[in-house]
Amino acid sequence: MAATVKVMRRPDPGETSYIRATLKGMALTFKHMVNPDKVTLQYPEEQPDLSPRWRGTHRMEVHADGRPKCVACGLCPTICPANCIRLVGGEDDQGNRYPIVYEIDEFRCIFCGMCQEVCPVEAIHVGVHFENAEYTRDRFVYDLDRLMEQDHPTTLLWDPSDPRSE
Amino acid sequence: MSEFTQPQETVTLTIDGREVTVPPGTTILQAAESTGNRIPHYCYHPGLSAPAQCRLCLVEVEGAPKLQPSCVTQVRDGQVVHTASEKAKGMRQGVLEFYLANHPLDCPICDQSGECKLQDYVHEEGRKHGRSREPKRVFGRDDFGGDVLFYGDRCVMCTRCVRFMNEVAQDPRLTVVERGNRSVIDTFFEDGVDGSPYAGNIVDICPVGALVSKDFLHKARAWDLDHTPSICPNCSQGCNIDLHVRDNRVQRLKPRANPEVNGHWMCDYGRHRFEWMNRDDRLTRPLVREAGEARPAEWGAALSELLERLEEARPIRAVASPFASTEELAALRRVVDALGGGEILFRSPEADEEIPLPGFPQLARRRDLSPNRRTAELLGMERVGDAQGRGGLESLADYTGTLIVLGDALADMDADFGRQAALYLYLGSHPSAAAGQADVVLPIPTFAEQEGTFINGEGRVQRFWPGLIGPEQARPAWMPLGVVLSRLGVGNLPGSAGEAFLAATEVLPELQGLRHETIGTRGAILNEPVLLAGS
Repeated sequence: MAATVKVMRRPDPGETSYIRATLKGMALTFKHMVNPDKVTLQYPEEQPDLSPRWRGTHRMEVHADGRPKCVACGLCPTICPANCIRLVGGEDDQGNRYPIVYEIDEFRCIFCGMCQEVCPVEAIHVGVHFENAEYTRDRFVYDLDRLMEQDHPTTLLWDPSDPRSE
Repeated sequence: MSEFTQPQETVTLTIDGREVTVPPGTTILQAAESTGNRIPHYCYHPGLSAPAQCRLCLVEVEGAPKLQPSCVTQVRDGQVVHTASEKAKGMRQGVLEFYLANHPLDCPICDQSGECKLQDYVHEEGRKHGRSREPKRVFGRDDFGGDVLFYGDRCVMCTRCVRFMNEVAQDPRLTVVERGNRSVIDTFFEDGVDGSPYAGNIVDICPVGALVSKDFLHKARAWDLDHTPSICPNCSQGCNIDLHVRDNRVQRLKPRANPEVNGHWMCDYGRHRFEWMNRDDRLTRPLVREAGEARPAEWGAALSELLERLEEARPIRAVASPFASTEELAALRRVVDALGGGEILFRSPEADEEIPLPGFPQLARRRDLSPNRRTAELLGMERVGDAQGRGGLESLADYTGTLIVLGDALADMDADFGRQAALYLYLGSHPSAAAGQADVVLPIPTFAEQEGTFINGEGRVQRFWPGLIGPEQARPAWMPLGVVLSRLGVGNLPGSAGEAFLAATEVLPELQGLRHETIGTRGAILNEPVLLAGS
């Protein structure tokens, strides 16, 4: 087979010059320096504005006397698609049903919010919160005390003025 | 009306457009049930009389001026019944609304939630929203004694519990007090149903969460429980039960209906003895004794060691347990016979007296407190020891031949039991001091963890199924014993409990013609005249 030679055309200087492109890029940069609707957020000094329907890590509501509102009905571990809630029910000294163990594995959680939706006593909520960093992995299993300590706002799972998203 | 009609074999009627043929005397509710059409009801229970007072099973019968209570209305030829007509449905909706007028709607904290008939019926046919604005009457909860707790607010006044105590237990302890919307179930005496040996059944028959078990209170949700058909292992009656299991732990026992053994009932003695099935201290691996010390071994190594040491001919004796399955006991008998024959002893606890259920005479808590003593006796094993299932094995403690122990934990024996034996094989579930001396220890699952059969006191073979997952390495005793038998050239190695059952026929000719498949969930009587043991 005879060797064939393909002749390549050298591009024009006008096409290869970077000067025009550099100027274009710098123009964009300088434009953003004076752009009034910039999107960069100086986190953590500036905090983002989260949607009221944001679904973050959980929070357990408490009664005025400090007891958890949870009655250990078992609906959240049943509905949970990620199977991340562990619940052991029992009875306290006043004869109320309450959770002896209530743990949520926030690593397994997919933040679907169904636990909040299914809760008959509005005890467990997903929260408007995202700063969850920890130094060890086991800290991501939130126990009952930890869930009761959380003080971030809780989610509105739907817009009250438009509950069906119509 | 039926007394005016000609006596006939069957009656044909139409229920919801379907023709049903049933024997005369059947009620509409039963006839509908036979076609899978379950008419909602509370007060009717197949094991009790029907007072027709819950008014929920009312159906439309063509020609009748008003709706008829289907639980007491007997079928007539040519009758046309509508259970889902506008009239019947509207009536049920109305009745259910009345039931909810005073119901606390505390399903989230109610133990019956998930298996509650009020929940089911209201979900199916009830109104979406209540219209009652009046305050609900409140009773709070009451301790009925024994294992029973009463939540008066949840009660639908079906009086099943009252009728059970009157008609079946024949120990009237409950009654309805007050009238109208203040009526409530109450006890005659301070101690309630305490001491009544069958009172636990009122928790089972309560269609709502009014009567709940203290033992089971808040333990698990009904929908989390797996139900496995099994046989109560606590006496030779062999009540059919369901193991309710969650997280690989038995949470409660419930009777399973079998009209020939236990009807719908079981005794409290059996009902509350299940904690041992959840024991965590288990034999988890085969152990082989080397230089005076028991070391964990692989199954293959343990069996080779065993077979090697069995080759030398020696006299043989064995200890069996009447808590082991028929398959296991028969395999032991065959091994002992194949090795030259020898006596097999067993020990079984015995109660002072039977506890009969007067309203269902077939059922009693038998004196014999083991589930499978009948098999041991049919296999020619000899009962030793006292009524607590202790003692009687002293002659074996210093035995010098081959010693096989199956299932008996030997809890009362000294730690040097069997030290003199030339070969001491222990097949068991739980570790004990006496088992520690064995040359070969093979772990076996408990009855709740394997498939098999028991033969109850009246000679009925009944199957049970595994409800729990046993230790990974545990194998039913018929398996290693089957290996021994096949090595000795006696029979094939059974691959399943069903095959082990067929192999058992060799030493139990009474089982001839029976197979696991034909026994089913109801059990089968042995091919021999029925003798009642323990009487």
